[in-house]
Amino acid sequence: MSTLTQTSPRPRPRPKKPIGGWRWAGRGILAFLLLFTALPMAWMVITSLKSQLAALQYPPQWWPEEVTFENYILLLSPNNAVGQEFLQYFWNSLYVSILSTILGVAVAVPAAYAFSRFRFPGRQMLFFSVLLRNMFPAVVFLMPLFLMMKWLGLVNTHGSLILTYLTFGLPLSIWLLKGFYDNIPPQLEQAARIDGATRFQAFFYIVMPLSSPGIIATAIYAFIMAWNEYVYALTFLNSKDKLTLPVGLQRFFAEYATNWPGLMAASFIMSVPVVVLFLVLQKYFVRALTEGAVKS
Amino acid sequence: MAEVVLNQVVKTYGNIYAVNHVSLTVADGEFVALVGPSGCGKTTTLNLIAGLIDISGGDIYIGDRLVNDLDPKDRDIAMVFQNYALYPNKTVFKNLAFPLQMRKLSKAEIEAKVMSAAKVLDIVHLLERKPRELSGGQQQRVALGRALVRDPRVFLMDEPLSNLDAKLRVQMRTELKRFHQDLQATVVYVTHDQLEAVTMADKMAVMNGGFLQQYDSPKNVFDNPVNMFVASFVGSPAMSLIPLEAVSHGTDVALRSPEGWELPLSAANSRKALTSTTAKVVLGARHSTVRLHKSPTAGAVPGTVYTVEPTGDVTFVQVFLGTSVVIVSLDPSVMVEPDQKVWIEFDQDKIHLFDGATEMALAAA
Ligand SMILES: Nc1ncnc2c1ncn2[C@@H]1O[C@H](COP(=O)(O)OP(=O)(O)O)[C@@H](O)[C@H]1O
Ligand SMILES: [Mg+2]
Repeated sequence: MSTLTQTSPRPRPRPKKPIGGWRWAGRGILAFLLLFTALPMAWMVITSLKSQLAALQYPPQWWPEEVTFENYILLLSPNNAVGQEFLQYFWNSLYVSILSTILGVAVAVPAAYAFSRFRFPGRQMLFFSVLLRNMFPAVVFLMPLFLMMKWLGLVNTHGSLILTYLTFGLPLSIWLLKGFYDNIPPQLEQAARIDGATRFQAFFYIVMPLSSPGIIATAIYAFIMAWNEYVYALTFLNSKDKLTLPVGLQRFFAEYATNWPGLMAASFIMSVPVVVLFLVLQKYFVRALTEGAVKS
Repeated sequence: MAEVVLNQVVKTYGNIYAVNHVSLTVADGEFVALVGPSGCGKTTTLNLIAGLIDISGGDIYIGDRLVNDLDPKDRDIAMVFQNYALYPNKTVFKNLAFPLQMRKLSKAEIEAKVMSAAKVLDIVHLLERKPRELSGGQQQRVALGRALVRDPRVFLMDEPLSNLDAKLRVQMRTELKRFHQDLQATVVYVTHDQLEAVTMADKMAVMNGGFLQQYDSPKNVFDNPVNMFVASFVGSPAMSLIPLEAVSHGTDVALRSPEGWELPLSAANSRKALTSTTAKVVLGARHSTVRLHKSPTAGAVPGTVYTVEPTGDVTFVQVFLGTSVVIVSLDPSVMVEPDQKVWIEFDQDKIHLFDGATEMALAAA
């Protein structure tokens, strides 16, 4: 090698082979992962388009001989019992998720800002204790929270779930947003205050727009967490008209045990809001997790 | 425009004095530079005037209004920051418009004022761009424009030129000076670069360790530094400071070096030296007042050339007198070499004497 480079003064092109090899290996792994995650979803959609009878056939029909949308129609039309029940669950989930998202953002934004900007006694400890919650698995808090909700008279209300989801979502939201505010130079607010803004206006007009990717990211995170949560919803709620989708779906599973296409159609409808949210806002999400607020 | 008065202003962080009993008056329309090494309390002083941080003690007046407890927005000031602090998500136009919007001006007024400021600063073609699409020099202009759009009573600037490259810095320096002359604005300008202060300011306030050391015109600060810190901080290359020992011969005083040579002082300088609290006296001399001889000369003291630095117009020569260094400026046609033996002659009318213990300038009693 060394003699070779000595004899030719021009820089030799770097050997490409190993790089290409790695790249292909990477693509292979990605393709495998894609298959791994996409196949069950595809199967879900395909099954949801079958009739009850076709779904139970063995060997399975890889593609339904007779595509039918009756499961979707049944679930989404408020004129029958199944549809009414499903739409009720859907609405409950939406209500709980949206409210915990809005409240989560409303608490996380000022909290993160305060942790980032103000030096107050106990700041470090408080911040650490916020994160402490995330070091334990969620089920650890099931009983204590249930007892507290009972004590507060919140059992079997959506309020109990909203409060719980807040405590679960806030640590990460605060932590992520604090990172954003840490990256925004305090001179921006100082400039705004000199330009005639109050402290709050400086935050509202200047700082908050800069942290909007972070706010959107934490909002998506909070929404998805609330939308998918199962164990607490199962424990805290018992009247049928209050159930959220994950628990409600399980009822489908129990009550209409044999109706696989119906369950799959319901699952598909349940995943739609999350997918849509992600597709619409994903660029903010990526920006929030990779970039931070203002590149220096 | 208005005057700014600082009266015994103090800012403490815990038990650290960031600003220690600073008093000074900036007259209406005056350009004052706060200058000093990094960490000496310049920014803190400026932020106190702006109201961005709470004052720990003393009073600040803008115009004849005590502003100690006023919010920045109510002080009617404008500020230019070192990192420009342009609002990154707003266009240049909106950056300039923001202070006017906050003051609830009409749309037409805002448009007119932004345009006229943009014209003055030659940034009209940039109005629709975002700050990140601008060069450093353009960002600097926009930051200046944002300060200029409304007529504040005082302009505060915190190292506004230090992020520019050397050439642009010199150019902006001239423009800033011109801008001050045109507007007759009251300006408080923070810089760590004494040359900026000397070239632009009507008065300079030299700070060190939170204390105001000297507050005077650049010429007076240059000619009569009150202590060794100011003497070595102002002027480039720095004033040479040579620690010596005062010895009396009757009423005459001479300064003796550890190597044994003696420099007899003039009558006036002798009287100054006698006021020193100890026998230790420090001799200060600026490069332009020192003469270099290549052969022994009466009244000159021996030294050895250390380095020779030609700059084109003048050549700076560092000469070791024993253990201390003297910088001499020479005409480039004079040839000296490192390690060459030379003799240094001081101008008795131009040397400075400092008390070796208190480091204060010695004045005739
Ligand atoms: N928020 C703060 N907390 C603690 N110390 C500070 C703070 N701001 C400034 N200081 C200290 O005050 C001194 C003066 O700082 P500053 O005014 O920024 O200096 P300069 O602008 O002259 O470089 C420094 O020693 C700095 O460490
Ligand atoms: Mg500073």
